[in-house]
Amino acid sequence: MEDSERRDERAKHLFLSHLQAMVGSSLVARLGNLSPEAVFETPYSELVGNTGNFRKAERLFDGLQRGFDAGAIEDQLAARGISAITLADEDYPGLLRNAPDPPPALYLDGAIPDAPSVALVGSRKASSTGIETANKLGCALAERGVCVVSGLALGVDAAAHQGAVDAGGLTVGVLGCGIDVVYPRSNRALFDSVRRHGALVSEYFLGEAPLAWRFPARNRIIAGLASSVVVVEAPEHSGALITASHGLEAGRDVWAVPGPPGVRECRGSNGLLADGAGVLWDVPEFLEAVAPRGGTGLEPPDPSLPAGLPDTEAAALSGVGLEPRGVDAVARRSGIVMSELLPALALLELKGFVHRDAVGAYVRRAVP
Amino acid sequence: MSVCRARSLSLFGIDALPVEVEVDVSPGLPGFSIVGLPDAAVQEARERVRVAISNSGYKFPMKRVIVNLAPANLRKEGPAFDLPIAIGILAASGALAPARLERAGVVGELSLDGGVRGIKGALSMAEGAKKEGLRRLVLPQRDAPEAAVIGGVEVFGMRTLKEAVDFLGDGLRLAPTEPAPDNGTDDLAGEDFADVTGQRYAKRALEVAAAGAHNVVMSGPPGSGKTMLARRMPGILPPLTMEERIEVTKVHSASGEGNGELVTHRPFRSPHHTVSTSGLAGGGSNPRPGEVSLAHHGVLFLDELPEFGRTALEALRQPLEDGHVTISRVAATLCYPARITLLCSMNPCPCGHAGDKRKACRCTAGQIERYQARISGPLLDRMDIFVDVPRLTRQELRDEPSAEGSAAVRDRVRMARGTQTARQGSPNSMLSGRRLREVCALGGDAEALFSRAVETLGLSGRGHDRVLRVARTVADLAGGEGIAAEHVAEALNYRRSHLLGR
Repeated sequence: MEDSERRDERAKHLFLSHLQAMVGSSLVARLGNLSPEAVFETPYSELVGNTGNFRKAERLFDGLQRGFDAGAIEDQLAARGISAITLADEDYPGLLRNAPDPPPALYLDGAIPDAPSVALVGSRKASSTGIETANKLGCALAERGVCVVSGLALGVDAAAHQGAVDAGGLTVGVLGCGIDVVYPRSNRALFDSVRRHGALVSEYFLGEAPLAWRFPARNRIIAGLASSVVVVEAPEHSGALITASHGLEAGRDVWAVPGPPGVRECRGSNGLLADGAGVLWDVPEFLEAVAPRGGTGLEPPDPSLPAGLPDTEAAALSGVGLEPRGVDAVARRSGIVMSELLPALALLELKGFVHRDAVGAYVRRAVP
Repeated sequence: MSVCRARSLSLFGIDALPVEVEVDVSPGLPGFSIVGLPDAAVQEARERVRVAISNSGYKFPMKRVIVNLAPANLRKEGPAFDLPIAIGILAASGALAPARLERAGVVGELSLDGGVRGIKGALSMAEGAKKEGLRRLVLPQRDAPEAAVIGGVEVFGMRTLKEAVDFLGDGLRLAPTEPAPDNGTDDLAGEDFADVTGQRYAKRALEVAAAGAHNVVMSGPPGSGKTMLARRMPGILPPLTMEERIEVTKVHSASGEGNGELVTHRPFRSPHHTVSTSGLAGGGSNPRPGEVSLAHHGVLFLDELPEFGRTALEALRQPLEDGHVTISRVAATLCYPARITLLCSMNPCPCGHAGDKRKACRCTAGQIERYQARISGPLLDRMDIFVDVPRLTRQELRDEPSAEGSAAVRDRVRMARGTQTARQGSPNSMLSGRRLREVCALGGDAEALFSRAVETLGLSGRGHDRVLRVARTVADLAGGEGIAAEHVAEALNYRRSHLLGR
């Protein structure tokens, strides 16, 4: 391809990228194969035909056609140290290019690592168990040299990124807004860490706002950038399930972490398991599947209760379930009087058998 | 001699200071003026006194009447000078012998028909009279039983001005009012711990709080029984001693909330969250005790803590630290006692349903964080016990065995308090600094457990002290000399959730 030709192609994709930020991907997908001249010159009505009364789309398209200046955009990106990769470029991530509906352009702060990647997604309002699992998985994947892809949202996303950062590994955060917009704001510090350990990625140009419809749309990029998608914990109708279905469309392996039956926070992820998703019941086995290293060399952990736990603590532990439960409920189930139960629970917490969440409920932890 | 003196008393904070009412009746144009820094209510005494005297069948002197309230630099307020002014005028104009007024204090408000109305702060007045060396105190009939509690001063209750003149003028013999017999019990008006089904965790936390006078935050969804539990807190605190009863009654009487009797129950105050700063802490242009002082030796319950105004809550810091409120004015500085157990309740999140199994919480993490951040950190630092009160399902309520009554809990609390008073002279919640380290020294197992907890749970310095204090109380409840590992472990349960900071 000639240099000028490539520059025009690149400009076309940047144009489409800006268009997509306004009207979504359904229109843009039809224009991807046209020549740059056709995209820049042809009036909307001719390009789209009689698709009905999408007046707003027509107005936006005309406005963009009149004022578009690819050179200025390139300059602006260069000045901010942000790179843009378009479908016309060779370094566009291969996995994503072959996924359905790839974004015309990706804006990057940092660099997408050249490493196997796994997407870790889940509910923003996950249980403490979910958060802990996401963190551990992020850590374990990063230690194996796997890049952790997620959406930099609260809850599971943040925990997964944090796990990877803590392990000093690689991670990529895919945003539903411009990469210079920090949303949610409480993740500011995490944004910086992710930038240092990989990249912030978005299909939206600088300064674009975090509109509600952009988050389900960016989920296809999360699935597209990874070779496997893991749903850590998701209720029904969770955005994480959208990521999982994008993953299936793109032919990715979809895994889910099993949760206790009937618990609201786990119904979505358990539903995926019922539909045939991979069961992430054992971390070494999962790691071996997504990033083979030939034998784990690790002994499988012993799931039985450790011997030597004093009677009261063992009885207290029997009252704590996989689902968070208040102290009174634990007392009823274990049949221990309150003045003995409280010390036992605190000791179990210190020994790592149980976890106390933000509203004072106790839940079992994976055996340390 | 036409100058005549009557002794009276004026309420200043919750203490009464002596005031001398000097009356001069001299020839001249008829007139009546009051000097000596009187406020509006005292100025209006002129009209009440004039009419009350004539309506009682006496003659108001057609001369120049000047009343001086001494000391002149003390601001006098309220209508309690009506009676001494009237008596003084009648004595100065010869209706009774002035000599009889010596060593007798007189206070009371007059009505136009010559009746004597009740006043504020009768108990403080009696105490002030005793301190001043007065032998007798003449005051409204309504307030006599309250004042008689002090002893050492003969208290005479009056219904009318005429009765007072007859009594002081030696025409009438009355027996001094006897203090109401102490019925000894303080039945808790049916508010018993046994009424609350389930919530054994919260009850245990309140028992520990009562035993060590620790302040408590209860967090839970609406309808979980936080208010019900709080109302039963005074019932598990040890009964008031006589000294405490007098202090509590003084505050209530000074604020005008008294009913002429001694307060025998620990007060329970539950101000609404729209309360103003001076409503909560005390103050105003005519300073009055606030809710925190009305809860003196009792429980102040702040329902929906995050809804309270920040400045109002900040004003609680001094009373929580020092046990009293100081109100500074240009004219004077007042001090109201305010030694309270602070009980607060809050929802875990703005919608109230975080962690509730029956109803999903709709709040975002940011909303929850902002909600919890509304509570002032310094106030939270003075709270030792944090307890979650979940809402119980009907099934859980049905399965619950019947609960223990307040009386049994109170016996344990009383014993633990006794241990603390004998050891350090104050409840454990007052321990800090070096005294805390001495009293809460940990041995062997307990020390090992505690250092592990500090490391694992990331306790701050203050969080560290809170756990120690509460562990000391748990040990006192168990009757142990030293603090054992299980006492520290139980105390760890009462630490705050990470949302409120460690």
